[in-house]
Amino acid sequence: MSFDADVVVVGGGLAGISAAITATREGLSVIVLERGDYSGSKNVAGGRMYIHALKDLVDISDAPLERKVEREIYEVYCGNGRKISFSYEDKNRVDSYTVLRAKFDQWFAKKAEEEGVLFSYSTLVSNARREKGGITLETNRGEVRAPLVIEADGVTAGISRYLGLRNLKPSMLMLGVKEVIGTAWDEGVARTIIGFEGLKGGGFVYSNRDTLSIGLTVKVDSLQGSEVKAQDIVEKFREMIGIEGPILEYSAHLIPYYGYANLPQLNAENLIVTGDAAGFLINDGFTIRGMDLAIESGKVAGKAAKLIKDENYADTSIYVKMLEESFVMRDMKKAWKSFSLLGEKRIFSDYPKVLCEVLGDMFLVNGERRTLREELMEKIKEENLNLTQMVLDLVRFIG
Amino acid sequence: MVDLIKRLSLNKYTVDKESHIQVNTQICKTCKDKPCVKVCPAGTYEPDEKDGLIVHYERCLECGAALVACPYGALKFRFPYGGISYRYG
Repeated sequence: MSFDADVVVVGGGLAGISAAITATREGLSVIVLERGDYSGSKNVAGGRMYIHALKDLVDISDAPLERKVEREIYEVYCGNGRKISFSYEDKNRVDSYTVLRAKFDQWFAKKAEEEGVLFSYSTLVSNARREKGGITLETNRGEVRAPLVIEADGVTAGISRYLGLRNLKPSMLMLGVKEVIGTAWDEGVARTIIGFEGLKGGGFVYSNRDTLSIGLTVKVDSLQGSEVKAQDIVEKFREMIGIEGPILEYSAHLIPYYGYANLPQLNAENLIVTGDAAGFLINDGFTIRGMDLAIESGKVAGKAAKLIKDENYADTSIYVKMLEESFVMRDMKKAWKSFSLLGEKRIFSDYPKVLCEVLGDMFLVNGERRTLREELMEKIKEENLNLTQMVLDLVRFIG
Repeated sequence: MVDLIKRLSLNKYTVDKESHIQVNTQICKTCKDKPCVKVCPAGTYEPDEKDGLIVHYERCLECGAALVACPYGALKFRFPYGGISYRYG
């Protein structure tokens, strides 16, 4: 049977473009199917990229990055007008930048086109089936066949679903809702905010050149039974943190929240899975990252594609072996303990509350002074928390 | 608070002629808690006494939550051919 290319990449985002560039450099023929009119048009991302993986792949001197992140701010809202915050500043760091993906992905796709990658835009894959040594993709522009498909179609993983390899579960997904606000700050800031309406999740603010990206990420299963509707949360959040300015865009997207131990199937016959589709996201309490994992997994997929072709497409497991040796899986694995801990209610609700109560009393002078130990023990008891559990959690968190 | 419809009107859409979301309203008529209404950030699903549920598919932000929003299997979602074009993303 005849194939349209050595490799068809489904999805022209970070993972797909990285895979396509790499596979092309390896001498394979590659087609990228992108459902949007341009790369990035269907994309929503919080807004910060750690650029190490990108830098290794392409020249980034003309990349449309927004601002270099120089300040990290953490804020815990504990209700009744109380808030804990701390910040870390380093004017010399150059590891991460805020980014707006509609602009960024178009630039990245252009880089790929300059290297000979073929893109088919406005091409929606509506089904996939296995057929005679390859996969046939049904699209609105006709069928496309390839002996190897690199799935880079994002968190909803259409190809894996069509092939019966994946069932999406609310417990493994977060919903991100976001607004771009027409207000400019004069430094690169990443704000992480915890404590909103008792929902499992957190908020963010990233400063771009001329705008702010603000939003919330919330576990889907926590929304299903919640009092507050997803359609209202970002506006309530914006009021809580006091950010004003014209709204320029309102957006939403699912976020994979699997963690190392729950990762979905990463390969099958004629198929390898990258980026959000593969569930690559890390939250270790300090960094929340998916974009560098998408780029790197795409690069690994592009290299693996060559080896898979050389073996006549017989076996795709080399991709997973190569991933295990890359920082993608190494970092996923290292983050697993804290990742799983950060899903527990006591972390984003009970502990911050105790911390707030204790700090509240320690900063208060009213003639009834107590020691920090007395305060701590009393509040832990009041909240029915278990001290042993707290110590265990701390140990788990530090890794 | 800026109203949802005002916020959605800031976005750029190419609305398909046909809805990309199919609903089995027989199930919706018996559904009291309507988790889809809570989960959808675009207010796509509106509870309706007569029909169970009305779908405003033109509001869809294509986040994908509809794929997991309904535990009762009443929603069938695919991505639209046109739909939203994010300018910031």
